[in-house]
Amino acid sequence: MLKNKKALILVSFLLVFSLVAVGCGSETASGPADPNKLVVAQPSDAVTLDPHGQNDNASARVRLQMFETLVDQDADLQIIPSLAESWEQLDELTYEFYLKEGVKFHNGEELTANDVAFSLRRALGSANVSFIIEAIDVDSIEVVDTYTVRFSTKESFAPILAHLAHPSIAIVSEVAVNEHGEDFGQYPVGTGPYKLANWEKDEFVDLVRFEDYHNEERFAKIENVTFRAISEGGNRTIELETGGIDIAYDIPAMDINRVEESDDLILIRDMNFSTTYVGFNAAKEPFDDVRVRQAINYVVNMDAVVDAAYDGIGTPAKGPLGANVWGANLDLEAYGYNVERAKELMAEAGYADGFTAEIWTNQNPQRIAVLEMVQNQLADINIKVETSILDWGVFLQETAAGNHDMFVMGWGTVTGDPDYGLYALFHSSGHGDAGNRTFYTNERVDELLDLGRATADEDERAAYYHEAQQIIRDEAPWIFTWNGEELTGTQTWVRGFSNSPAGHHALWTVYYE
Amino acid sequence: MHKYILRRLFLLIPVMLGVSFIVFTMMYLTPGDPARIMLGESAPGHEVERLREELGLNDPFLVQYGNFIKDLVVHQDLGRSYTNSRPVMGEIVSRFPTTLKLAGLGVLVAVIIGIPTGIISATKQYSLFDNISMVGALLGVSMPNFWQGIMLILLFSVTLGWLPASGFSTPQQMILPALTLGTSSAAIITRMTRSSMLEVIRQDYIRTARAKGQVESVIINRHALKNALIPIVTVIGLQFGFLLGGAVLTESIFSVPGLGRLMVDAIGQRNFPIVQGGVLFIALTFSMVNLGVDILYAFLDPRIKSQYK
Repeated sequence: MLKNKKALILVSFLLVFSLVAVGCGSETASGPADPNKLVVAQPSDAVTLDPHGQNDNASARVRLQMFETLVDQDADLQIIPSLAESWEQLDELTYEFYLKEGVKFHNGEELTANDVAFSLRRALGSANVSFIIEAIDVDSIEVVDTYTVRFSTKESFAPILAHLAHPSIAIVSEVAVNEHGEDFGQYPVGTGPYKLANWEKDEFVDLVRFEDYHNEERFAKIENVTFRAISEGGNRTIELETGGIDIAYDIPAMDINRVEESDDLILIRDMNFSTTYVGFNAAKEPFDDVRVRQAINYVVNMDAVVDAAYDGIGTPAKGPLGANVWGANLDLEAYGYNVERAKELMAEAGYADGFTAEIWTNQNPQRIAVLEMVQNQLADINIKVETSILDWGVFLQETAAGNHDMFVMGWGTVTGDPDYGLYALFHSSGHGDAGNRTFYTNERVDELLDLGRATADEDERAAYYHEAQQIIRDEAPWIFTWNGEELTGTQTWVRGFSNSPAGHHALWTVYYE
Repeated sequence: MHKYILRRLFLLIPVMLGVSFIVFTMMYLTPGDPARIMLGESAPGHEVERLREELGLNDPFLVQYGNFIKDLVVHQDLGRSYTNSRPVMGEIVSRFPTTLKLAGLGVLVAVIIGIPTGIISATKQYSLFDNISMVGALLGVSMPNFWQGIMLILLFSVTLGWLPASGFSTPQQMILPALTLGTSSAAIITRMTRSSMLEVIRQDYIRTARAKGQVESVIINRHALKNALIPIVTVIGLQFGFLLGGAVLTESIFSVPGLGRLMVDAIGQRNFPIVQGGVLFIALTFSMVNLGVDILYAFLDPRIKSQYK
């Protein structure tokens, strides 16, 4: 009996202890743990630090700090000098770039036109990134003198500078690549404001300031940067709250209020270049009928979808491009929720009694939520929808083959240029695997997209893209769904950070206060 | 004994060949194109085709498998990862210490909790302690790892601020993952220890020991426990072997860069070389742990040693 009493006391003590523990608030720090170190968390580790290796976001976010491109884009998407001080278009196809002199690589070598020519050829030779600059004719790349490089595009290609500013088209040290060969990704050598100090795969990447960096304006303010890979979104928030990290990328929707309401944290939110859409198979009955596609656009209450699937983050999409992409047609009118109009269109198309269709997506919780809501709302016009969640690889394969009815997918216009956000997705040359998984075909759109690609004059170009977007909006090969947001949480002492809409955020601007 | 070990080691060769063939076939048959997954949805089709050719994915099945085995046997090379071109062997070897540490700490937690609890439960059968520990064990077995991990983070990281919520570099960072991983194993070990001990305690020689006035603690620790250990060691060995294969959920929750996450990521990306190399490696370590357990039997029980001829 006595022993039982002891055990009871022990259990009660443990219970009280845990209750007290749960009730206690944790202490938060009032300044950075180390004033010379910035700790940043992102959902996954870099795959490779070779810019021509993989074109994934996590890698690009780290590499942006270490590598530079020939030209860059400012916050307004205007092209600005980077490693090239200036450039000239010699004729319709040919460009010449004049490099900044005295730029040092992290290994102490000086940047020359040879490195640039080598890097462009290397990027064009890499199956992973060559598509970004495939407009360049590899045989035309020419070193004119130590600081001048020249090349031609295969055909007239207006957005070439925006593509050269893509972080995957970074300039690498020829000497270092030759030295390390396939292992260059582990021994990266660029010209950027930070260089690699240590990399523990899938745990952290340590960068240290490059003291011989050439550009005073971009000279890193904090000496060390550590990227930590924390896959669980909730854990990134917790680490931020407990002072373990200074900046957390991709704050999950459910934690937004917590970060916003906290006195110790700041949430920085900006629209990004991502679009989510529900694509139809426009080559297949009944989705080859534009009225059916329009009817479905009318019957989906996109405000409700965005509220439910994305917790109100981002905005419902009105057309194929987000408003922050250059050349986006801001006059597009959203379809709006109009069940009566949808029913009329269905009746006109001969589907008053509806039909049965399938809708697919991959294992992405938000896309699954979109899929479920679309399924639900389509019942209003008698469309019975069966849903399937497919593995990513299978999903890509099957939608490329055109075996689908409808699918939920996304796209990122990373260059901020409409060519990147429209050509692959809507030009009929891109049917299937190349990006046009809706198998949408419209001769005028093809023509406009080709013209947009070939025209240098900005106003003219914008006019072509505006018209193309209007046609695409009206013909609705997609249910225009959602434009996303960058959500970054920081400590209150972090200053100078701003989101990049492409998701590749600069850290050399960050300082502590 | 030596002959027995050698024979077991030789038997590993057909086992490994079988495992490699099964994994290779499964990965080959799994839909989803590695080249497309690597390049992402925005890459044009001809680049995907070029990458397929580069990776040798257009070769017939037997040619691909033959190349894999040839590289493995002749050059002891498992190939390079599709995603970052690092050697597969290096990727696995760099993760293994973390996985070994996590599994080792997990088993340590399990043993420290499980064996004493099991012994006390057995000696005080149906007491309050026994009931509580059996309910605890039931909870431990049924509580999903990911939930328990999140609860531990909530308590120790968020509320108390004592321990970091993620990472695996410092000793503090290792505590929560080890606890999460260890408790479900602890529950299994507790139950196994209890039932094994109960069986032994009822045997005649224990009664004899008591009858001749032996001290209770010596009876339990020296006479009973040693004889009850065989099934317990088996369970510990199996748990350890299992955890060495990677504790995917725990690794994900706490951002531990172990084998489990490497494998899960590789399967999603159809990174065939990593999956094949990883499964072979896990099969090998599992077999080695099992062999280790079998050898340990001989030291625990001389009767078994005499059978290892």
